[in-house]
Amino acid sequence: MQTAALPSLTQPVVVGVALAYFGVVAAIGAWAARRTRSASDFFVAGQGIGLWTLAIASMAATISGFAFIGGPGLIYSIGLTAVYIVLPASITNTVGAWVLGKRLRLLAEVRTMITVPDAIGARYRSPTAQGLAGVAIIIAVIGYTATNLLALGLVVKAVFAVDLTTGILVGTAITLAYSASGGILAGVYTDLFQGAVMALASVLVFAYVLMVGGGLGGISQSILPADPTFLSPWGKLGPMAALSFFFVFGIGSLGQPHVLHKIFMLKDPRRLKWSPLLTTAALMVTLLLFFGVGIVTKGLVASGRMTALASPDDATPMFLLQFTPILLSAIVFAGVAAAIMSTVNSFLSIGAAALTHDLPRAVGRHLPNELHIGRIATTVIALVAAGVALASGTLVAFLGIFGWGLFASTLVPSLAVGLNWAGATKAGAVASIATGILVTLVFETLGYLRVFTLPAGVSVSGLSLVLSFLVFFGVSWLTREQAPGDLDPDIRVVLNA
Amino acid sequence: MNDGQGARRAALGCSVLSMLLIALAYGLTLVPAAAPAPAWGGWLMALGTAGLFASLTVLGAVRRNRPWRAVAWAVGFIFVVIFGAFGAALLLAPDDASSALVLGLPLRAAIVIYGIGVVPALVLPLVYAKTFDTLTLSADDLEQVRADARRAQDEMAS
Repeated sequence: MQTAALPSLTQPVVVGVALAYFGVVAAIGAWAARRTRSASDFFVAGQGIGLWTLAIASMAATISGFAFIGGPGLIYSIGLTAVYIVLPASITNTVGAWVLGKRLRLLAEVRTMITVPDAIGARYRSPTAQGLAGVAIIIAVIGYTATNLLALGLVVKAVFAVDLTTGILVGTAITLAYSASGGILAGVYTDLFQGAVMALASVLVFAYVLMVGGGLGGISQSILPADPTFLSPWGKLGPMAALSFFFVFGIGSLGQPHVLHKIFMLKDPRRLKWSPLLTTAALMVTLLLFFGVGIVTKGLVASGRMTALASPDDATPMFLLQFTPILLSAIVFAGVAAAIMSTVNSFLSIGAAALTHDLPRAVGRHLPNELHIGRIATTVIALVAAGVALASGTLVAFLGIFGWGLFASTLVPSLAVGLNWAGATKAGAVASIATGILVTLVFETLGYLRVFTLPAGVSVSGLSLVLSFLVFFGVSWLTREQAPGDLDPDIRVVLNA
Repeated sequence: MNDGQGARRAALGCSVLSMLLIALAYGLTLVPAAAPAPAWGGWLMALGTAGLFASLTVLGAVRRNRPWRAVAWAVGFIFVVIFGAFGAALLLAPDDASSALVLGLPLRAAIVIYGIGVVPALVLPLVYAKTFDTLTLSADDLEQVRADARRAQDEMAS
C-alpha cells in the first residue's frame, strides 16, 4: 500500500477529471442515501442487487490502490515474486463460488444475514464465535482503513497540491459522506462506477505498456541481461516466499468479509451461476496494470530509457507521466482513488456492522435502530482510522500489513470448511478464530518491535492461517460428540443443500 | 462416480494432510540443519497448496448422493495446473539472457504466469456455469431448501 509521497500531478486535466469523478461519486451517494431506509438497506443493500453489480462490486472491493500503485512498485522491487499476490485470482473466484457462494446465499434465504459473523454465529449456534469474528473484523478494518486513507490522502495531495493532512481529511470526508449516508447501498453502486473506471484505466495503460516496451518480449529482452532473477518464476525472493504469497492470498481469499458479505446482497441466488465468470474477467482485466507497469518500468530502467526510481511506488506515476497522454494519467489516478474509496467503503460497512450488530449479539443484546447507530459507527470508525493515518506513517504501515492475514486466519476455517462439514464444532470455530487473532497480533507485534522475525519465506499471515486451520480440525475432532448439537436443523438444511 | 459422501470424507482428510505439508514446509525454514530446505520447502508448498485448493473444492462442490464426474474433472484440473506449473518451475533449469521466450516471457515464468494466471480463468468459470443447474443449485433445489428450512424452523419453534 502507498505510504510514500507521489510525484506532483497538479495539472488542469488531472484536476478536472478528479473533480468530475468525485462529483459522480457524490451524486451516487446522494441517490443511495435517499433510498436507504433500513438496516438491511444500509448493511446489505436491501438484498436487492443484480449479478453485474455483485461482480463488479466484488472486484472493486478486492482491489485497493495497491493494485495500481503499491503492486507495480513491488514488482519493480522484487520481480515476479510480487505476482504471486494476484496469481490465484484466476482460480479463487470459482473455487470460492463452489466453497462458499451457494451456502452463504442460502443462509440468507433461511435466516436474516447482515454480516459474515452472522453466518458464523448461525452455523455454530454461537454468539461467542460471532463476537470473536466481529472483534477480528474491527481490528483489521481500522488498520486497513487507516492504510487506505493514508494512500488516498497521498493521491489527493499529489493531484490538488495540498498538504498531506488536508489530503487525508478531504479523502476521508468524501468517502465518509457517501458511506455514512447510503451505507453499502451507496457503496455497491459507486463500486459499479469505480470498477468500470478501474478496468478501463487498466486496459488502456496495459496497451501503452506493450507499445512502449516493445511487447512482453521486448520488455523481457531488456530485463534479462541486466537482472535475470527478476524474471525467474519465483522472482528475487525465491520459491518459498512466492509460494507462501500464493497460499496466503489464494486460500485467504475465502475469508475476506468485505467481499463475501456482498453475496448476501444478491437478489436471486440462482444468478450465482455467472458470478465467477464476470468477477474473474473483471479482476483479470483490472490486474493488467499491476503486472504491466511493474515489469515495463524495470525494463525501461534496465535499458536506460527511464532513470532509476527514487521509490518503487513511483513506478506507476513516472510511467504514466513520461509515456502516456495526460488524460490517461488523469483517468488512472481517478482509478486509484476509485479503488481506494471502494475498498474503504466496504471496510467501513463491515466494521460498522461488526460494532453495531455482531458485538451486541455476542452479549445477548440487540441495539434498537441499527440504521441510525450504523451511521454513527461508520463515522466513528472512519474518524479513528483517519486519526491513525494522520498520527503515524509507521503505525499505518504496521496496522496495514496484517489485515488480509487476520481475516484469513480467523474466517477461512470456520466458514470455508465449517459451512461444508457438519462435523465442525463450536469449540473448533471459537478456538480457530482465537488462534488467528492471537498468532497474528503477537507475531506481527514482535516483528514490528524487532524482537522476533520469522525466517524468509514464512509470513505471519501464512503461519496464523496454518495454525488456525490445524486448531480448527484438531479441536473439532476432540469435541466431535458436540457436533450434532452445534447445528440447528434449518442450518443443516443449508449444509446438505 | 456417485459416492459424494465418500469423496467429501476423503477431501476432509486431504485438506488436513495438505495443511500439514505446508506446516512442514514452514517448519523446515526454522531448522538450519534441514538445508537445502528451500528445495524441499518449495515442493511441499506446491503440493500442499494444490491439494488444499482441490480438496476444498470437493468439499464445496460435491453433494451427497449426487454424481460428481464433471466436478471431478475440475478438481483434477485445479490440482494438475497448480502442482504441475509450480513443479515444472522447480524442476526446469534457470533461464538466462539467451533463453528463448514463450509468449514474451522466459519458459519457467511463462508456465507459471500463463499456466496458473490465465488458463484456469478461461476454464473454471465456464465449468461452474455449465454444471450449475445440475450440480450446484437448480430452481427445484432452491424451492426444496426454502420448504425444508421452513419446516425445520416450524419444528424448532414448536
